[in-house]
Order: sequence, then structure tokens, then C-alpha cells
Amino acid sequence: MAATSPDLRADAGAAPANGGFLGWFLAPERRGALLVTPALAVLFIMNIFPLLWSFGLSFFNFRANRQGVPDFVGLRFYERVLTDDDVWQRFQTTAVIVGSSVVLQLIIGFLLALMFAKEFPLRRILLMLVLTPMMLSFVSVGVFFKFYYEPTFGLVSWVVNHFTDERFVMLATPAGAIAGIVVADAWMWSPFVMLLVLAGLVSVPRYLYEAAEIDRASWWRRFSTITFPYIKSLLLLAVLFRTIETFKLFDVVYIITSGGPGTSTETIAVYVYRMAFQFFRTSQASALAYIVLFVVIVLTSLYLYAVRRRAEEVS
Amino acid sequence: MENLGRRLVPGASLALVLAALGGATAAHAADITITMAAPDWPPTRFMKEEFDRSYKSPDGNDTKLDMDFIPWPSFYERVAASLTSGEQKYQMIVTDSQWLGSFVEGGYYLDLTEKMKADPELTAIMRDLHPTLISAYSTYPHKTTQQVKDAGEWPAPNVHYYGFPQFPDTYVTYYRKDLFCNEKEQKNFQDKYGEKLPCTYDDWENVDWVMWKKIGEFFRRKKGDPLGDDTAKDDFYGIAYQAGKGYDFSTMQINAFIWQRGGSIWDETKEPEGQAEGVVNSDVAVAALEDYLSMVPLMPPVAKTGQMDIFVEQDLYMQGKVAAMVDWVGLGEPVLDPKTSTVSDVSAFGPAPGTKKDDGTIDRTGNIGGQPFVLTTWNSDEVVKEALNVVKWWLKPDTQMKFAANGGQSGLMSVMADPKYDTLRPWNRAHKEMLEWQRDVWHIPEFFELLTQQQEEFDKAITGQIGAKEALDSVAKFQQETLEDAGRIE
Repeated sequence: MAATSPDLRADAGAAPANGGFLGWFLAPERRGALLVTPALAVLFIMNIFPLLWSFGLSFFNFRANRQGVPDFVGLRFYERVLTDDDVWQRFQTTAVIVGSSVVLQLIIGFLLALMFAKEFPLRRILLMLVLTPMMLSFVSVGVFFKFYYEPTFGLVSWVVNHFTDERFVMLATPAGAIAGIVVADAWMWSPFVMLLVLAGLVSVPRYLYEAAEIDRASWWRRFSTITFPYIKSLLLLAVLFRTIETFKLFDVVYIITSGGPGTSTETIAVYVYRMAFQFFRTSQASALAYIVLFVVIVLTSLYLYAVRRRAEEVS
Repeated sequence: MENLGRRLVPGASLALVLAALGGATAAHAADITITMAAPDWPPTRFMKEEFDRSYKSPDGNDTKLDMDFIPWPSFYERVAASLTSGEQKYQMIVTDSQWLGSFVEGGYYLDLTEKMKADPELTAIMRDLHPTLISAYSTYPHKTTQQVKDAGEWPAPNVHYYGFPQFPDTYVTYYRKDLFCNEKEQKNFQDKYGEKLPCTYDDWENVDWVMWKKIGEFFRRKKGDPLGDDTAKDDFYGIAYQAGKGYDFSTMQINAFIWQRGGSIWDETKEPEGQAEGVVNSDVAVAALEDYLSMVPLMPPVAKTGQMDIFVEQDLYMQGKVAAMVDWVGLGEPVLDPKTSTVSDVSAFGPAPGTKKDDGTIDRTGNIGGQPFVLTTWNSDEVVKEALNVVKWWLKPDTQMKFAANGGQSGLMSVMADPKYDTLRPWNRAHKEMLEWQRDVWHIPEFFELLTQQQEEFDKAITGQIGAKEALDSVAKFQQETLEDAGRIE
């Protein structure tokens, strides 16, 4: 390799001297940009352009199912969205689902991590099984749980019926439907929290626990003074990451309840979708989507701040 | 040589003429691929199979029908996304009739009025179509069946036509004859209600919603209870009809209740004078919705979650958990297939229940289902001509009879009048009877907004969060505001 590299460089360097366009084009000083260009082009076409386009649309009165030139309306749709009771109700629903789901994920994930931090028979196999839900697609999880909750032949109703002799209609009430979504989301993502917490737990030096044992420290004392300080930044990461993701929750809600009963489980992501593709209020949906994006950016900034702090702690 | 020459010259001339003709045909023949968006279910699958088997272009084209089969639950979103994105993927689309306004106004569906008028075959087809189907599947701005009839012979002046029936659908009653015709059940029902449990088609002609409710109460059994000559292997339910939040899975049935009692939905043919408030939430409409809701507790418990869509009730029926259901004819084939249905050999069909009037007759007015197919505006003249050839082939009596024999329905009155037609599939008689009662919901571009909000309010009522009056008041208010904004109500 050492013998061929200089030759290659020499060839490449000689090309521009020949004056050919290809040689000029493939010159070493341009290769970096050339290699990055396809990725940037895809990013621009698939992400940045639609993002800018939809941002522009949010200032016009445009509906995708109508012909005609859109009127410029300035911030009217932002004002309409922010003063719309329905939007705030969807934000509240989203907050309830995010809060409940993330807390449940933290509890389950933390308990699972405590369990898997110790060695026991079949630990590796069990760990793989526990991680399976987060590897499934949202659609699969949605369909699984829709069938679990089905009152006529679903597993949950069947078990309850065994004890009460009555069918259990979980999704018939707003509270039951929200609980159903929270359980499905927590089932899927608790393993992710477990992984993060487990990473923290295994990084705690053993000698600290040994010293605590010599001092006869209580379980709580050991947890609060040794374990928690080591995992707290990872826990914060888990909270932020799961909050951001759950805030955008769409698939599972859409499949399990379609936002029902009524609109009681309609998250903000489902509402944006319906506004855009069912009501065809394209501009208004764009404005709402940017408000949601703003919230996500704020949460992401917090997430990045937590990552930086964790990196500083580790270093 | 001279003789040979005399023989060869005309022969060669004939060969030249034939070659020239052949060349002329070859010059017009083209390879055409028609991509059609279609819901993935038996009526469209059959169309594709039959096309591949029997379609020959009258213009000598090598035509391929490339059907993009889309699952029902995402059908509207996929079609809407394709049309509004501007990708111009489809040359033909199987569309729900209610989308006509949205996609005509969007500039996507082709106005076929002049082409229909100019082509004697298409004119003959339009004159042979059932007026309800012309009204629902073809006219935009919408004309009612009565307006189509009043206009006399097709075409009516100043009316625009867009679609042809791909599959006209109505809902009918599916029932278990092993239970309804069972002697013990018959006797028990007679003892309890003093009336005959419907068994034959003629019996079902007399079933109204009051009787339907009794059937719902009567066949409600717990696991282990006697059922027919056996015992119920699981909890069992008497009745089912659509009560789902998705798409139009409660509106279609609720509209029937409202219309049958003399109520009304907002009438697009009366714009801009026709109001929503006071009409949509009239006392008659509220009473009709209350009646609809009163039967939900008698249905399988999934109805209480607002998820009893047309597929869920079909599944429950096929699993043998329901004695009778009201559902679309288009979902009939799987019910008769022993591979998918546990009740394939004991199912029979009758007209859907209706509302008994003071004179003893039963009003079965319902909301038409099924779909027309339309052409898109970006097709070249050559593709439009070939697509219309496909329409003519599909609506030929031969093709339509084959379609009807394989679970489809025809919209041609000449085909339906054939005595053989009723015997082709067990639901054909009921479908023909129900077709006379059909109306359609709105066709305006605001259709989906109106439908979605209405479905939400109906869902709240179905799941017991609000009452019928509150639901319809909310629907009426929303419709009034939306339609005023759109300039459809003054």
C-alpha cells in the first residue's frame, strides 16, 4: 500500500495538468466535497426543501385539494392555531400521555436495569427477550395491542372475563383508552430506558458498594449516595429522549384508538396529520407543525445540554 | 409468363393493399399502460383478472391494466397524497363517490360529459345505468336521483358527468339460517315476543328496526347457554351494524336512520339557501340517532369502543359470534368462503331493516356504497380513448354478468333485469331491492372535514360520552360554520 499510494496521488495530481475536465473535477481538493454532495443533495431534496416549502406555505392560504393561487395571509394561521381550543386540548392530551408513559417507562426500565445489573442464569437470553419490543415496528406494536384490548376475543378481556364473568371494554372510555396507549408505549420503550440505566449501573465501581457494606449502609443510603449519582445524568437523558419521542407519538395512537373515543386520545401529531390530510387545511397544518417543531427543538436543546453534561462528567 | 403475370399482378396489388392496411393499423396501435388506483378487495381483484383474461383493445393497442391495489383503511390517504403531490401516477381511479367534489375542484378528475355525449356506446351505457348510480357516481355538482329522473332521457342539460360504476354496493342483512330457521329458536321467539322469527327472504321483508332490536335482545347468550341445537361456545350476540370512528363507518348507517324517519342531512343540492343548523339537529334527526344508539349495547362489546367498522363486524360474523349483521354486499364473498368463514354454509341474505311507516310499509332508505371509476386530467387523448375502451369493456353485459357471478354487482338495468341475475349470488335479490332506496352523502370538497368532525361526534355518542342531541348540535354548528366559510350557505 505504501508503494502504491504515492503513485495514485501522483496520477491524480497530474490530471489537472492534462487539462481534462474529468481530471479537474476529480482533483484531490474537490474530492471531499464531491463525496459529500450526494448526501447533501438527498438531505436538501428530502428534508430541507420540504421544510422550507412548508414553512413558506404556513404564511399562505393554501389547500392541497384546491386549485388557484394561494393568498398571502402572514401570521394568521399561527394566530388561529395558538388560539384554537382544540389545539390546546390536543396538547393537554399529549402531555397526559407523555407524562404517564415516560414515568411508567422510567419505573419499569429502572427496575429491569436493577434486575439485569446482577448475574443470574439465562440472563443474556432474558435480556435479549426484554429488548425485543423496542426493535419492533410501531405498526406491529399498535396491532398487537389493538388485539390484546379487543373486548370480544382479546387477551385482556379474556383474562378479566375469567374473574368477573363480564367482558372488559378497555377502550370505551377516555381514561381506559389513554391507559391502553400508555401501556403499549411503555411496553415498547421501557427496554430503552433499561439499557441507559444499565449502562450507568455497570459503571459504578464495585469498591464503593463494598465500602458501603462495611459501613453497614442501608439500601436507600447506598442507592442515594452511590447508585443515583452515577445514573442520574443517564436517567435525565432517558427522560428527555423519551419525552421528545413520545411527544411525536402517532402510529400507536392511530392504530389502537384512531384518537377515540371521540377525540380523547388524539395527540398533537395525530391532529396535525388529520388537519393536513383529512381536512386538507395545508397551511394551517404547516403552521401547527412548526409550533410542534419549536417545542421539539426546545426539548432537543435540553437533551443536548444533558448529553454535554454527561460527557463532562465521564471525562 | 403472361398468365403468370396476370395472376401475380392482382395478387401483388392485394398484398400491397393488405400490407398498407396492416401498416396503417400498426401505425395507430400503441403500447398503453393504464395505472389504476383501486381498493384491495374482491371486486377490483376480479376486474384485474378478467381484464388480463379477456380484454382486447378495439383499436388494436397493446393495453396493460396495472392496478395499484391499496388496502381500504389507507385508500383515501394514498389516493389523495398521490393526486395532491402532482406525481400524476394514475390514469384511472376507483374513487368513493363523495370524493368527486374534492378532486374535481382540485383539477384531477376529468369531465367526461362531452365524450359521453359524442360516443354512442357510452351514451347507451349511461341510458342503461340505474339513475341512483348516475346521481351518486357521476354528477358533479351533485344531482339527486329524483333530479336525474326528472331530467328525462340522459343527458340532462347543464349537468357534468365524471364517473362510471366500477362496483355499485348497498348494505343488506347477513343472517344465520341455522339459528333463525331453527325450530327451538323459532318457538322461543314466538313465545317471548308473539312474533315469528324471520327465516325466509319474505320474512326479512317485514323486519324493521323494532324487530331488529328484539333479535338483538333475543340472541344475546352467555357462553354455555343453549344456541340453536347446540350450546354457545363463547358469548354470543344477536345483531351488529357499523359503529366505527374511522372513515364513514357510522355515518353510513346513521344517515339511514335519519332519512328513514323523514329527517335530513345538509342538502348540497339546496345551496346556498339550505341550512345545516335546525336541519342536521332537528328533533327527528335526534330521535333517529337515539334509536341507532339504543341498539349499540346489544352488539358485540367492541361496538362500545367505537371500533365496530365494516370489517370488524364482518370478522365477528364470520367467527360465528353474531346471529345477524347489516353490512355491504361487497364483503359477502369471504363470508361464503369456508377458508375464511365458520358460517359459510349457514349464511343467507335479506334486505336491510328499515323503519315501519304508519301505512305499514317499510322505508329502507340507505346510504349508497360502492365506487365509480374516473379518468384523470393529465391523460393524453390516446390514453383517454383507450381508458374509455376499458370502461366500455367493463360495462358490457357479458363482462357484467361474469362480474355478478363472481360476487360483484352491475349498475346496468338491462343486466339486473335478466332473470338469471338474481340467482348468480345469494345476495343479488336483496341488493337489487336495496338499490331502489339509496341516496348519497355530500360530494363537495369540504366532504372530508364534515365527515371527520361528524364521525368524532358520533363516536362520542356511541361510546357514551355525550347524548344524541349534544352530538347533533355540535355537528350542525360545525357544518354551519364550515359551509358558511366555504360560501355554500348564505
